[in-house]
Amino acid sequence: MNRSGRALALTVDSRHKVLAMACCLLLALALAVNVQVERADSAPPPKVGIVCTEGSGGVAGQPVFNLTTRTGYISLPDGNTAFMWGYSSGFDGFQHPGPVLCVNEGDTVTVILHNTLLGQATSIAFPGQDSVLADGVPAAPETNGSGRVTSLTTSAAAAGGTVTYSFVADRPGTFLYQSGTDPETQIRMGLFGALIVRPTAGTDHVYDRADSQFTPNEEFMVLLSEIDPYQHQAVEAGKTFNMNNYHPRYWLINGRGFPDSIADNGADWLPTQPYGALAQVHEFNNTDHPQPGLARYLNVGTEDYPFHPHGNNGRVIGRDGNPLEGTGGEDLSFEKFSINIGPGQTWDVLFKWYDAEDYDPVGNPVPVTVPGLANSVIGTFYSGSPYLGTQETLPAGTPTLNQCGEFYIISHNHALHQITSWGTNMTGPITYMRIDPPQPNTCG
Amino acid sequence: MNATSHGASAQPNMTGSMMTGPMMTGPMMTGPMMSRRGLFRSAGGVAALGGVAWAGKYLQPEAYSLAEFPDPDLYLAGTDGWMYLPRTPAIAPFHPDVLAPDPFTTYIFGFRNVTGMTDAQKLGQKNKAQHSAPLFWVDQYDPASPRDFRVQITNLGLELRPDLFDAHTLHWHGFRNVIPFFDGEPSGSVSVPSGRNFTYVYRPREPGTYMYHCHVEDVEHVHMGMTGLVFVRPIQDGQNIGGYTKFMYNDGDGSTGFDREFSMFLSEVWAEAHWADAHIQLPEWSDYRADFSMLNGRVYPDTVAPNGSIDPFNPIYDGSGDLLPPPGRPELQYQPLSSLVNCNSGERVALRFANLGFREVAMTLGGLRMRVHGRDATHLRGRDGTDVSYETETLNIGPGESYDVIFTAPAHSGTGDYDTYLIYNRAYQRANNLAGGGFGGAATEIRVYPSGVAAQQYPNDWGI
Repeated sequence: MNRSGRALALTVDSRHKVLAMACCLLLALALAVNVQVERADSAPPPKVGIVCTEGSGGVAGQPVFNLTTRTGYISLPDGNTAFMWGYSSGFDGFQHPGPVLCVNEGDTVTVILHNTLLGQATSIAFPGQDSVLADGVPAAPETNGSGRVTSLTTSAAAAGGTVTYSFVADRPGTFLYQSGTDPETQIRMGLFGALIVRPTAGTDHVYDRADSQFTPNEEFMVLLSEIDPYQHQAVEAGKTFNMNNYHPRYWLINGRGFPDSIADNGADWLPTQPYGALAQVHEFNNTDHPQPGLARYLNVGTEDYPFHPHGNNGRVIGRDGNPLEGTGGEDLSFEKFSINIGPGQTWDVLFKWYDAEDYDPVGNPVPVTVPGLANSVIGTFYSGSPYLGTQETLPAGTPTLNQCGEFYIISHNHALHQITSWGTNMTGPITYMRIDPPQPNTCG
Repeated sequence: MNATSHGASAQPNMTGSMMTGPMMTGPMMTGPMMSRRGLFRSAGGVAALGGVAWAGKYLQPEAYSLAEFPDPDLYLAGTDGWMYLPRTPAIAPFHPDVLAPDPFTTYIFGFRNVTGMTDAQKLGQKNKAQHSAPLFWVDQYDPASPRDFRVQITNLGLELRPDLFDAHTLHWHGFRNVIPFFDGEPSGSVSVPSGRNFTYVYRPREPGTYMYHCHVEDVEHVHMGMTGLVFVRPIQDGQNIGGYTKFMYNDGDGSTGFDREFSMFLSEVWAEAHWADAHIQLPEWSDYRADFSMLNGRVYPDTVAPNGSIDPFNPIYDGSGDLLPPPGRPELQYQPLSSLVNCNSGERVALRFANLGFREVAMTLGGLRMRVHGRDATHLRGRDGTDVSYETETLNIGPGESYDVIFTAPAHSGTGDYDTYLIYNRAYQRANNLAGGGFGGAATEIRVYPSGVAAQQYPNDWGI
């Protein structure tokens, strides 16, 4: 999704908006009211897949991003909301997580941070990027008068400060960007997002290796995070929070918990959580769908998350922006059915799905008596039939979300106490691989 | 019920009796039996049902071939039951559970192997679940001599919680390119209510170590114990490559060959959650903690107690179908799988680790190096064949991960009958059975003899 036009248009009145926002935020903090700024999107985002925010600036190879810190609320699967901080694209209203910044290998990337948080200096650290400049000089940790570190990188002052970061994105891959100031509070409050550096080999490659090619419209983000509601409550009330008492109760994928996680990108009932996690794909085959899909995993939580995609092994081809290769170019990638990703890590995982047995209701039926549906508990996403593209009449009153005989194969965190939301089970970091029947189909 | 939409398609061959439990047991699923019943129903059914509108198409079996399918290779039953964990120190009021019949302590859900049982024996296994679930293995599918591996499951219900009408499934964790119908994930396909049956058909094409579990109410059913290990033997088994005939992968060079093999299945018990299920309560899962870390369903030192009946294809049970306790250990009746590793000096020993606890473990083999040949049923070789296996003494195994390792038993050096090496969880706070100073949890012993340990009859066989 190209947002360059909008960002340019918005720079004109940016100062007024920042001022206005600062006033509004004062009010908002006092009244605990969420402030929404009208979004000026021209085209709706794609329903599924990564929603790229492209840089503005108008000069090829020199993308510019404006990121503004905002406060707002997100919806959680148990009906609760959480007070959050976030990075917004340009001067848009609050969103969670921050926009997915997409750049190309070799670009000189400029990120201008506008800090609207009151009483909070903030910053952006770019793990994986070398020689980051801040306002033209090397970004560096900040210390107080006694030499103690107060920020991991150059910060923008509270309530209106700005800082301009720049770096050359010289390595393709998947990266985080996140607050470097009081990170145990600010990252937990939501100041993070994904940065994708596309290789010279093309937007259908993860790295410059030929074997990192993927199907462009089957590229997905799996950004995993967690929330301790008491921390967010304390921050909202302006109270201190003892991190020794930190205890997450919610776990999220792309800033949402299941079932919100499988709603479309930009679903209007999730106005501050724009990124869905449904992986909609077609069956892999060697003739007309010969390349795998791509899942970009990122973990901004505090412990390893063992994410388990059913029905296919991911091939891990890179971690933290490094292709898994030997010094002589040897392939050191490996398949995994549990993507056990550590805090701060990113993993690039190719995946594909096909029916290994090519079951077909006529020529190659499943070699088993299919029990009548009345003798089964029928899943919400089940078509009533074992076969892709086939639907059967379900018992009257059986709710189904199946549209056209498509398959749903689940992916979820396998630390299973983390697929809950403070008492609401089977929520949290769960999504599906949705496999559509071959064309022509009736999926619409 | 929508009378108009289904009335026209009402089929004559259904009756209310389709809904009764006992009829849904094993024989019901085979073709000829079903067709005879169908004929019987259609004879009487037209008059009996007339225009009863809810008799939709869905109350009949799906259209299927009347060809008779083979008997299942394994028949597993899901139910509840009781197992044993050390009574002291107590975790009041959760452990030991006051409802537990002597000598047990802990309420579980689990699977039992009911292959070959009579209906009466099978139904008698309600409230007699075991943990971990029966270990089983499958030969890699050979297109040259194709053979399906069939696992039938049934649901015996929960004796202690008749208020719960939970379905069950079998999810083979890690099986590649499976259709939802055979994946056992209930939201994308179907699950098996009490009294019913379902048969999963597998053609495993990738050797290595996997795990299986019920995927219904995943958090609860997995934690309550419906979890076990399954592995796939490579197609090169039986050939003599590098002096070995049994292998972990199709290596082509014998590098994954071994003399004996052991399942090392990791699971956990949070005493409060198990107690809560028995006492009609709900735990808050984000408070989760692993009070007990288990290896093959037991904690050390019970892990070195003898095996019960663990060969899934030659199960042993008493006249009622019940499990026989390991010799001298009645409290381990429903935890039949030992973790003791006996081997002779110089032998290569394969260990298959899989973790279905909720916490990462750090399984350490003190004093012996393991070579990691596989993870997540993947031979550690790049797509271009580059060897990416490696040696280590500690395996950090996350939830849902598996590791295939081989160590070579060193020369016997001690003065006793055997040398002892320990496998334990380096996360010590979960390796002590909560007892001050006592070693426990997911730990076991490796005993290296100079010679004399007999060949294994099946995995985890002691050979003594």
